[in-house]
Amino acid sequence: MAYQLPKGQAKLPDGWLRTNLGYYKHGGSWAWILHRITGLGLTAYIYVHIYALTTLTQGEKAFDDEMKLFTTPVFKVLEWLLFSLVLFHAFNGVRIVLVDWANGARYHKQILKVVYALGIVLFIGMGVLMFMTPLKTMVASLK
Amino acid sequence: MYKHTGSRGSGAPSWVLQRISGLLLVVVVIGHYFVMHADPASGHTYAAVLERMHHPFWKMFDLTFITVGLWHGLNGTWGIFRDYEMKPAVNLTIYGIIILSGIAFWVLGVNTILSF
Repeated sequence: MAYQLPKGQAKLPDGWLRTNLGYYKHGGSWAWILHRITGLGLTAYIYVHIYALTTLTQGEKAFDDEMKLFTTPVFKVLEWLLFSLVLFHAFNGVRIVLVDWANGARYHKQILKVVYALGIVLFIGMGVLMFMTPLKTMVASLK
Repeated sequence: MYKHTGSRGSGAPSWVLQRISGLLLVVVVIGHYFVMHADPASGHTYAAVLERMHHPFWKMFDLTFITVGLWHGLNGTWGIFRDYEMKPAVNLTIYGIIILSGIAFWVLGVNTILSF
């Protein structure tokens, strides 16, 4: 594919943004960017996760009270969305290992399609697992 | 001259470990998600956690999980920062924050697990 200047590149001021936004990005470039963003997000989450679970040292009531908040629909949806970061980072990570150690550079574009496909399937599967029972109860209560 | 002429000090061991720990985490984190959400009670009640923490296997599992997970995350974060040109003082500060916060949160997590 011939090199294409992205639209509006001339309008970008010199500096960090221009360096980073002002070049054509293939699928692999986006995967590289997403891998970093999801990685930083997951690292931030593990800190929050470790801190949140310290209530386990304060006994049953403290923990179960906290879990009442984390099992509300808003937090469940947030946890489900977090799974998309996990799935992309995990499968793209396998893709990186294949590129480094298994001649994956020859078929990294095909693996990327598998990464997205597998991610979407498992994301929907997790949605069913997390929300099927509460949805059924909700529908049943309407009857 | 080249900054590195051999593998020593080049970050190669952490590069290899990042991949090995990553492969481990692919299975463990996705598994963790399914186990904690297949039955909401298993991840969200004190009783279920207490039951798991009575088995040395799950204790060891969680200790390994927290160590490998934190290391992989922080080594990756450091890898991102290393891509950017930084003044030595900034470099050292960021490295210090990563190491110290990593140790602090590792102790916090290990303390929770060992409190059972």
